[in-house]
Amino acid sequence: MEVAFLFGLIILLLLIGVPIAVSLGFSSIVFLLVYSDSELSAIAQTLFEAFEGHYTLLAIPFFILASTFMSTGGVARRIIRFSIACVGHLPGGLAIAGVFACMMFAALSGSSPATVVAIGTIVIAGMRQVGYTKEFAAGVICNAGTLGILIPPSIVMVVYAASVDVSVGRMFLAGVLPGLMAGGMLMVAIYVMAKIKNLPKGEWRGWSEIFDSVRDALWGLLLIVIILGGIYGGIFTPTEAAAVSAVYAFVVATFIYRDMGPLTTAEGQANHSIFSKPQALLTAFFHEDTRKTLFEAGKLTVTLLFVIANALILKHVLTEEQIPQQITEAMLAAGFGPVMFLVVVNIILLIGGQFMEPSGLLVIVAPLVFPIAIELGIDPIHLGIIMVVNMEIGMITPPVGLNLFVTSGVAGMPMMDVVRAALPFLGVLFIFLIIITYVPWISTVLPNAVMGPEIIVK
Amino acid sequence: MEQTRERSLMDNIEERLIAVILGLMTVITFANVVARFLDHNILWALEATVFLFGWLVLLGASYAVKVRAHLGVDAVLNMVKPSTKKTLGLMAAAVSIAYAFLLLKGSYDYWAVFADLPPTSGRVFPTGFEEKFRSQSFYEVQDVPMLGIFSFLEGWINYGESYEKLPKVIPYLVMPLSMSLLLYRFIQAGMRLSQGKAQMLIASHEVEDAVEDAARTLAESEKKGH
Repeated sequence: MEVAFLFGLIILLLLIGVPIAVSLGFSSIVFLLVYSDSELSAIAQTLFEAFEGHYTLLAIPFFILASTFMSTGGVARRIIRFSIACVGHLPGGLAIAGVFACMMFAALSGSSPATVVAIGTIVIAGMRQVGYTKEFAAGVICNAGTLGILIPPSIVMVVYAASVDVSVGRMFLAGVLPGLMAGGMLMVAIYVMAKIKNLPKGEWRGWSEIFDSVRDALWGLLLIVIILGGIYGGIFTPTEAAAVSAVYAFVVATFIYRDMGPLTTAEGQANHSIFSKPQALLTAFFHEDTRKTLFEAGKLTVTLLFVIANALILKHVLTEEQIPQQITEAMLAAGFGPVMFLVVVNIILLIGGQFMEPSGLLVIVAPLVFPIAIELGIDPIHLGIIMVVNMEIGMITPPVGLNLFVTSGVAGMPMMDVVRAALPFLGVLFIFLIIITYVPWISTVLPNAVMGPEIIVK
Repeated sequence: MEQTRERSLMDNIEERLIAVILGLMTVITFANVVARFLDHNILWALEATVFLFGWLVLLGASYAVKVRAHLGVDAVLNMVKPSTKKTLGLMAAAVSIAYAFLLLKGSYDYWAVFADLPPTSGRVFPTGFEEKFRSQSFYEVQDVPMLGIFSFLEGWINYGESYEKLPKVIPYLVMPLSMSLLLYRFIQAGMRLSQGKAQMLIASHEVEDAVEDAARTLAESEKKGH
């Protein structure tokens, strides 16, 4: 009963337009004041401990910063050139290249809307010019953009890892195979559609273009190697890997690509070389562009982490009141098995994902379903991947999928048109979700092979 | 869209502060990685970064209210008629103000003992100050060393005893500070709503500004293309 009150209050507050963070925090505070003898000072302490006690979350600001430097630094443009060189000559080539570019950008950034903005801005215009309809272009990018949270690094995975205490490294590895698979399925779907509808194909520009474009994009793509290599090579922790990649992204954007900072020049001219302006080595740190990027990343960090910190108060309430245990008992008593349980989780997340930003949703749902999953013998890493894929689909499901919204904003077309355009690919991702849910092997094989089998401590 | 405001001195201070704190966090963490390669360890690096992280998010939260960057669900608000929207908005503001108020009381009570100050009495509403309390002004953090500029605190709250590590009163100061700012900003936002200068407290997603920019770029490049 008390649980119903708690969640009812949260949902009510969300719907009348209270910020997510406040809805979570306020409902938890009211619950604690009414149903327990907690003091307000203890609740304030819980809020501060969200930062003090969750070292893992520290990776999020750094990943956001790296990805902000990468988006400002024209990396998206270079990645797109490379993808077009690779797959642009296939039927539906530019669309396939768009998916490929989204996959690569997803590997640099941890967020889906950011991927849509970075890649969509360029690719949608490009696709229109060679004769695709705007709808098709928007549909492709809107779906492929969701890969941002599945392909590592992923902010949503960091949040999951922090809220249920599993290893970030494992989650990242677990996302690799499903990410490639989802991207592959989308590409195949486009290829088939292109064959049927006779969509335009680009020309094959030869190996030299692939070689040139990869050399140009290499500095950006190396970031993936630093992050994954660093974590699995045991050189640094995920948090440190994130900080290193932020510094690396700054260096690449400012001193190598020179798309921002003291070495940029007006459009069309060659950028300054570091030798002609050696003082840039110092001024770059205080340059206007650097400060702006830091500020933008900081602002995003604030909004995401304030939600997460408040959700951790809620988690505290749930744990204190043993609510997951109660639900587990009820479910087991009702004869629910793992299969039914996963169906229920899927439905909750699909519905929630349409209304809420993924990390916020995850941090509420994860602590609730995690103990149940463990009780039913579901692998925690597998559960994490299922949740991420669910939220990908939630992002492109009407009425209010996040990516639909972002795409309609970027492409300047009505929401319902994007919904219709996204529908065929949504079908593809839905099949993907079913496969991921019932074939745990896809998620667990890589982390188990690289990091050894998971030991579950109840 | 909301009307654009004049950029004030406060905007500059807040924006610079956000940039500087995130920059510091990155540099400290990076320096610690480099130091480890050289067989050193910056002992206080992790703790200092974590405190900065808390400062960034908690102080930033009030800035985010000001620029309407807090995430929320606008599905219902976009469906109802304007007058209902305003009523709901005011209710949301009232809840947010209550939230900030409760946390301000909690934060002060939590912080006060570290500052040798009396916490407030009363469970929900502060009814006065506790007459008896156990001062915890001698509590120190784990790793971050004491900084010279704070030595005045030793005389003020620690009865002349010197601190080896930073006293907890300093990092935890952010809690009452940020919650007072948050309360102030939520009251301001509520007033803007009631005067009809703003429609909502929330943003529906994290990249609202970026989407606008992107749409403009795309529209321009289409014009060029045709």
